[in-house]
Amino acid sequence: MSQVLATYNIKGGVGKTSAAVNLATLAAHGGDQTLLWDLDPQGASTYLFRVKPKIKGGGAKLVRGKTDADGQIKGTDTEGLDLLPADFSYRHMDLALDGAKTNRLDRVIKPLSEYRYVFLDCPPSISLVSENVFEAADALLVPIIPATLSSRTLDQLHEVLNSDAKVLGFFSMADRRKKLHRELMEELGREHDVLETVIPNSADVERMGAERAALVDFAPRSRAARAYADLWTEIRERL
Amino acid sequence: MEVVTHVLPEGADLPSAKASLAEHLDVRADRATSGTTTFYDTFDGRLHAAGLTLRHSGTELVLLDRETGATLASAAAPAAKRLFDRDLPEALRARLAPEMEMRALLPVAKVRTHRLPLAVLNGDAKTVVRLELTTADNGTRGRVTATAVRGYEAEIERVRATLAETLALPEATVPLVDEAIAAAGGDPAGTSSKLALTLDPDEPASLAAATVFGRLLEVIDLNLPGTLDDVDSEFLHDLRVAIRRTRSLQRQFKGVYPERLQHFRDEFKRLQAVTGDLRDLDVYLLDFPELRDSLPEKMRADLDPLRDVLEQRRVKALTATRRALRAQRTGDALAEWNEFVTSRRPSDRTVSDLASHRITRVYRKMVKMGRAIDDDSPAYDLHELRKVGKELRYLLEFFASLYPPEIVKPFVKTLKGLQDQLGRFQDREVQANALRDLAPAVKGHPFTLMAMGVLIERFMQEEIAARAEFADRFAVFASKAQRDVVKEHFG
Repeated sequence: MSQVLATYNIKGGVGKTSAAVNLATLAAHGGDQTLLWDLDPQGASTYLFRVKPKIKGGGAKLVRGKTDADGQIKGTDTEGLDLLPADFSYRHMDLALDGAKTNRLDRVIKPLSEYRYVFLDCPPSISLVSENVFEAADALLVPIIPATLSSRTLDQLHEVLNSDAKVLGFFSMADRRKKLHRELMEELGREHDVLETVIPNSADVERMGAERAALVDFAPRSRAARAYADLWTEIRERL
Repeated sequence: MEVVTHVLPEGADLPSAKASLAEHLDVRADRATSGTTTFYDTFDGRLHAAGLTLRHSGTELVLLDRETGATLASAAAPAAKRLFDRDLPEALRARLAPEMEMRALLPVAKVRTHRLPLAVLNGDAKTVVRLELTTADNGTRGRVTATAVRGYEAEIERVRATLAETLALPEATVPLVDEAIAAAGGDPAGTSSKLALTLDPDEPASLAAATVFGRLLEVIDLNLPGTLDDVDSEFLHDLRVAIRRTRSLQRQFKGVYPERLQHFRDEFKRLQAVTGDLRDLDVYLLDFPELRDSLPEKMRADLDPLRDVLEQRRVKALTATRRALRAQRTGDALAEWNEFVTSRRPSDRTVSDLASHRITRVYRKMVKMGRAIDDDSPAYDLHELRKVGKELRYLLEFFASLYPPEIVKPFVKTLKGLQDQLGRFQDREVQANALRDLAPAVKGHPFTLMAMGVLIERFMQEEIAARAEFADRFAVFASKAQRDVVKEHFG
């Protein structure tokens, strides 16, 4: 059985894709067969892996079992890491999931047991997609920007959470030089179970779009890359 | 994933090979690495026979398909001098344990290699085929291996065409491991202890016997170093089988050697005796995990003190066996025996005449002995029958090449069916007796004694069950049809 890890946040632009791509790459470097499913119709992680954002027949056929997921998977530049690409039709995924008696995402993932880890890079929002993700995932990896509003993220998530998935929050795009960030991280750390590793706000992370590669591959010694490596170690300990 | 391997031109190094590929394919090079690659197999080449290659390089053991070069499993592990199945990382153990059984994996070739991973890119600079250039310092030609990337399978066709047609690189037909072993002077298929003899039916019996004895001496020589170094239990086993086969043929062909044979028969008898304790202990230890698992779960740990006793005794037995095998007397006996059998004058009788005569005689003897056995016969009678059965089995093995395979093979199969049944019967009795004999050695451990009692009870039940099968097995062996076959082809 694969271990399913979803990077999720209600808000967008908090470092979900960056976390999914770097953590999945680290998992593959560790020798574990790993799959990343880019569920976001924008296809940011698909773009980073230089794969065409295309699923034959679209997302609806895939989740309804009409298209075989196995045949849609693409190998990436990293050995041991495969990608189930995004497709623009994923924007209508809610329609495809509506009315289903069973968890359709789960049914796509289950047969892919050759993978030790399956990462789900989820679109922001609360929707049927996210509900399906909560059920399918063993853990939700939740990036949190240390800003006043985003501190409500974890509360909101616990309100809507309908499954036993572990919620592993971690600070993302954090700037320790900012007093507000330091104070918020301290406060949130007291109130919630947040992982110790902090992903710093860094120009290196932004460079991923230009390099079209995982930070841990093109700048493995950078501060942010080392933080992802620590985060991956900490996550595995918590699973 | 599909893998193709082609051979690089003579003398090509990594930079020149990369340059010629780059003229035709959009490639991106990763970092070149150099390291020592060690290939492993058992002494008798079991991985080779199973179509597998086990290779260690860097910090990793990798199991490959011999034919395609595809990776089947890999795991981090140090380069060891010897690996039993229990020493292997889990990912490899599951695949290799059934092939290796009790044998150890040993380094069969060591090569200093240089590798350069390359990615073949599409228009988006995405990897669509993985290439690896490999050159070695052992004089063999380098290779380029192309591995398909999932979802881009069509691309490997393009790469294959470039390698085969544009660059005219021949496809590699011999795996790297075979070249490496051959370059180091070894045989990729390993060292067999099988007889595999082809004899001429019209040859004088003494010369044919010299061929068989010569091969048996060779098997003894091949297995002696591994026995002395205690590499794995199979060396001693194969050595003892060769000794037993020699003794059997000495008995069967004694008419060919009117003088001085007794001296050598005594020497081989001694060699079998001085290696017997060690082999018995090997068998107990090999069977131990299975015996332990056959106990009710909460009694399993109770048996462990017995293993300690067996291991202590084995250390002593190994010392004694080593001393006996290294002794001048043993070396002299084997050398003189070789001299003795090869210097015989040609006998008047041909080998096919003598072999047929002996096979018929021994078969008839077995039929007679078996017919005399009924439900009340003592165990001893069954043991004696098994011994004679072994003689027949060896005769059929030595002289198989003199007869049509369609006659010998079913004959051996019928005999084996009977022998296996007799063997099970005798083994259970021997095992039950051995446990009884070991009881005083664990007298301080009452729970161990109880666990041993449970095993003895089971052995006795199985002994009874095995005995019940005898009549059916023997009926096939002594049937009219089988008797007619023996009369027609060996009589």
